[in-house]
Amino acid sequence: MKKNTVICRCEEITEQEIVAVINQGYTSLDEIKRILRCGMGHCQGKSCIMIIARILSRMTGQQIERIKFPTSRPPLKPIPIATLAKYHQEHA
Amino acid sequence: MHKTADVIIIGAGIIGAAAGYYLAKKKLKVYVLEKKYPCYGSTGRCIGGIRQQYTHPLSINVMLENVRTFSTLKEELGKDVEWYQGGYLFLAHSEEKKKTYLDAIQIQKGYALPVRFVSSDDCTQIVNGLNTDGLLGGAYCPTDGQANPFAVTYGYLEGIKKLNGNLFTNTEIAKINTTQNKVVSVITTTGDEYFAPIIINAAGPWAKNVAEMAGINVPIDPERHESLVTEACERLFDPMLVDYRADGCYFIQNYGTGHFIGCYTPVPNDPGDHINASSEFITEMPRRMARIVPRLKDIKVIRQWAGSYEMTPDGNPIVDKTSIDGFYISAGMCGHGFMFGPGLGKFMAELVTDGKSSLPLGDFALNRSFGKTETMK
Repeated sequence: MKKNTVICRCEEITEQEIVAVINQGYTSLDEIKRILRCGMGHCQGKSCIMIIARILSRMTGQQIERIKFPTSRPPLKPIPIATLAKYHQEHA
Repeated sequence: MHKTADVIIIGAGIIGAAAGYYLAKKKLKVYVLEKKYPCYGSTGRCIGGIRQQYTHPLSINVMLENVRTFSTLKEELGKDVEWYQGGYLFLAHSEEKKKTYLDAIQIQKGYALPVRFVSSDDCTQIVNGLNTDGLLGGAYCPTDGQANPFAVTYGYLEGIKKLNGNLFTNTEIAKINTTQNKVVSVITTTGDEYFAPIIINAAGPWAKNVAEMAGINVPIDPERHESLVTEACERLFDPMLVDYRADGCYFIQNYGTGHFIGCYTPVPNDPGDHINASSEFITEMPRRMARIVPRLKDIKVIRQWAGSYEMTPDGNPIVDKTSIDGFYISAGMCGHGFMFGPGLGKFMAELVTDGKSSLPLGDFALNRSFGKTETMK
């Protein structure tokens, strides 16, 4: 992988940036996410978080099964404000 | 490892990080002990608003200091913290609310705050597409703003590390040792001991539990508040919009990213430190947002979450020393911790090193009567 490979496409975060944060001593996915915003964008980490976990595993020696993943929160996919508001009116 | 410092701070949210940074600048060796990771508590769950529109004189003064601090934080910390002065617009939909704002503005003008009551038409100039049904106008302060809570908090923590201090994550304390009414050390849940003659309780939602470890009772109780964020879009408007109706809400477009982020105050309140997300919120909040700014309707919600407001009886923080020598508290921020944090950090550093702060914090004292509540909560 090239150093300038984009890992988080939503927030345009490269491998180099992720490696730098891990080298600063932030060795959890929750910290990397909060510092770089990777996983906070449109896809909510669906495309990047496994790749970041692999980089973290490679750099720290943590087994990938033991790495704690950030909390998944609703909605599962992006939903327009009007759709959610309408649902509320119909079910209130 | 040598586990002795000049100051131990419990909690790596904005309150602990800022206090630690200004103490480290005064050449004290600072250890920050965090039970999970930085911003795990309230700071990382807030929406990043920064306002000076309060009614309590001390809160206004603290916020004037904070706006000065945020304005220079990029130079101070050597990183962009996404500080942006887009203002705050409090909407009035009733004569009663309008009077509350006009009374607040009278007080705020005494502190040279550039706040004014603007007409309903002016509100639509400030927020293009605002729904003016029933709107009587709003209280607008253009020098209020926003910043990125993660960037600010991690910035301060990196500063502490550069100034000879350290951050210990996944380090939860179980006990505070005192001798002859003076703090000596803390013991972690894994049995490690850290020594310092000064310990600051900056534990946010868990400040009451931490205070109890030293035998101190503090009237701070967490409540759950929920938030959501939308996808990013082009810039639509600048200020934080605050709708104070019973079924109102508040939201802002994040300057750095373009996401809309917002929340509402649950009625009745929801006590406890649980932070699960509800289906009620993710449908009700979009209804409230679309009612205020209908043209947001096609923007997609990408995430909801929750966090704690740590409430005191009067809606103001507790920033003080305690009856135990060397044991300080800065907590009970009532949902305002991020905006109060940098300034309170400076004042806490003065309180610790000089015995008093340059801005007297008497109205945030631990033993106050808690009688006068904030109307601009």
